[in-house]
Amino acid sequence: MKKFYLKNHSCHSELDSESRTPGFRVKPGMTIVFLIFLFVILANAGIHPVNAAGYGLSLYPPLLRVHIKPGKTITQVFKIDNLIGEEKIFIARLVPFTDADLFGNPILNLKSTAPWLSYFSLTNSSIKLGEPFTIKANSSEQLILSLTVPENAALKDLYVTLLVSTYSNTGVPNYQGTQVSATTGSNLLITIASEAYPPTLLRVENITPTSGWLFKFGSYYLADSISPVSFTAQVLNRGDFAAETKGIFKVAGQKAEPIYLEGVLPVNVLAKTKRVLQNNHGENFVFTPNLGHIGPFRATISIKTDNANAENSITIIFLPLKVSFGLFFASLFLIAIYQTTKSKKDTLDTS
Amino acid sequence: MSSTQTISNTINYLKNHRCHSELDSESRTPGCRIKSGMTLIIFLIFCVFEFFTSASSISADTLTSPAFKVKMSTINITGGNKSSSSYKLTDTVGQTVQGRFDSAGYIIKAGFQYIYPLTAFTFTISDLDLDFGSLITGTPSLLTNILTVTTGSAFGYTVKTIEDHPLRLVSGSTTIPDTSCDLAQPCTQTDATPWTVNSRYGFGYNIQGTDVDVADFVDNTYFRSFPIQDVDQPATVMSRAGVATDSAATVTYKVNVSGSQAAGIYQNNLQYIATPSF
Repeated sequence: MKKFYLKNHSCHSELDSESRTPGFRVKPGMTIVFLIFLFVILANAGIHPVNAAGYGLSLYPPLLRVHIKPGKTITQVFKIDNLIGEEKIFIARLVPFTDADLFGNPILNLKSTAPWLSYFSLTNSSIKLGEPFTIKANSSEQLILSLTVPENAALKDLYVTLLVSTYSNTGVPNYQGTQVSATTGSNLLITIASEAYPPTLLRVENITPTSGWLFKFGSYYLADSISPVSFTAQVLNRGDFAAETKGIFKVAGQKAEPIYLEGVLPVNVLAKTKRVLQNNHGENFVFTPNLGHIGPFRATISIKTDNANAENSITIIFLPLKVSFGLFFASLFLIAIYQTTKSKKDTLDTS
Repeated sequence: MSSTQTISNTINYLKNHRCHSELDSESRTPGCRIKSGMTLIIFLIFCVFEFFTSASSISADTLTSPAFKVKMSTINITGGNKSSSSYKLTDTVGQTVQGRFDSAGYIIKAGFQYIYPLTAFTFTISDLDLDFGSLITGTPSLLTNILTVTTGSAFGYTVKTIEDHPLRLVSGSTTIPDTSCDLAQPCTQTDATPWTVNSRYGFGYNIQGTDVDVADFVDNTYFRSFPIQDVDQPATVMSRAGVATDSAATVTYKVNVSGSQAAGIYQNNLQYIATPSF
């Protein structure tokens, strides 16, 4: 469209002049040059994608779990990738946290600080915590984070998130609206202890069937024996150190023989916090019984940490409720047919 | 007594019982014919029941065979590659510690599943500059950008947002207030409600896409106001308890001003914070 417009426009302008022929001779050449020029620009644009206002950053590793003795030093490299075709200024900082939601997401207060943040430092020559640094377009940078725990450090857990944020030094933007800044984080769970595996104190709580044909009687659950039953559960870490939830969800019959096993997703539970337990797919535990599963069954969650076990269970009585209801209604239906047929017969016989 | 015998006896009992009752009536033969049909149907229902019961006991036998023994200490409970349309996961659950290293005085485990090939946590935003241009009173201005998250070796994430202050005059303290949506059902920083009336003014956002709370942002007419830094807690806009690959959500920013709004350039800063779960 643009090409046609230019060509026609040029012709018309030439028509106004008296030297029409030479003008037509020049124009095709000009058009070709213009097209080549356009092609070069577009080709270059393809090689160097321009995304001036975007943001893309990846941070590795997303989680660092460290057990460390007082007096020791470790170093961990965090790799940052600037994923866009534009040089960006970033700033890295550490934000401590003490709490998390039930799914292991830290509850961050961006203003919070802690005296033990001084244990951390960047050993990069040109990048410091809290100071801006530049990453070129589609390039990477490494943050070499060093943790030095003093000899007299308290034996406890330190939870901190490394945040890498966009940084603007251009002042107020010259438009009406909102300037968006972005922050990407990585969590560090540090256990300062004199032993490799400090004592953990987990308690499995609230194992609850949540879906399926369920009726609760006191502490017992009645469930249909052919409907899947979904379970939720939580774990409470009553100890002073974070622990990992390695374990199993098990359903066992009267002889304590397991008829169903499912792995518990191994996740970290902060000290003095709760966390939802899930299966390896990050979903609720689901047991699908069959008609042979009738009677009381135990649904158990067992967690094994490096130096302790935790277990809890509930009793579910599986009954063929749906089948019974089906048979009941089928019987009613048959009886109704029978009664109708019988009454018709009686009427016929009487008449 | 086997279940087959039980059924047989039950049928005989039903048959005899029904025929005896029929003896009391005068029309013996037709009644017995009907009952035989009923008995046959009941027998079929029992057969179906017995079939399912028998089939179920086979799988139970398999699971409780002598070769199957659960010991928490060392046995693998599950492991290997797991995949679905949305993710792929390798795990080893119940096995003793793997893939981490000990040294004098410290243990480091990097990544969530430290036996999994570790990949980075990635967060992208399609546009950082939201230029509304000139605002027309009573006519909402809308802009969008796209947030995308890939968890890598993290198992879950959240994206939260917070603004430094409401849209504010560059040279002054006058603000365009954060929206409270339609009067009939006001919205909050954590509760989205419809904002469709053009005589309702303010600044707010809607988000649609993957890993968004669809129970709150029911459709693209539902908006929330932004929480304010140093006053409120950041609001969660995207979250997932599991692996995410290129989870994307479109945020729509809406601003609507009244005729009495002071003229000038209004600005604020909005921050998105993406953190992986641990």
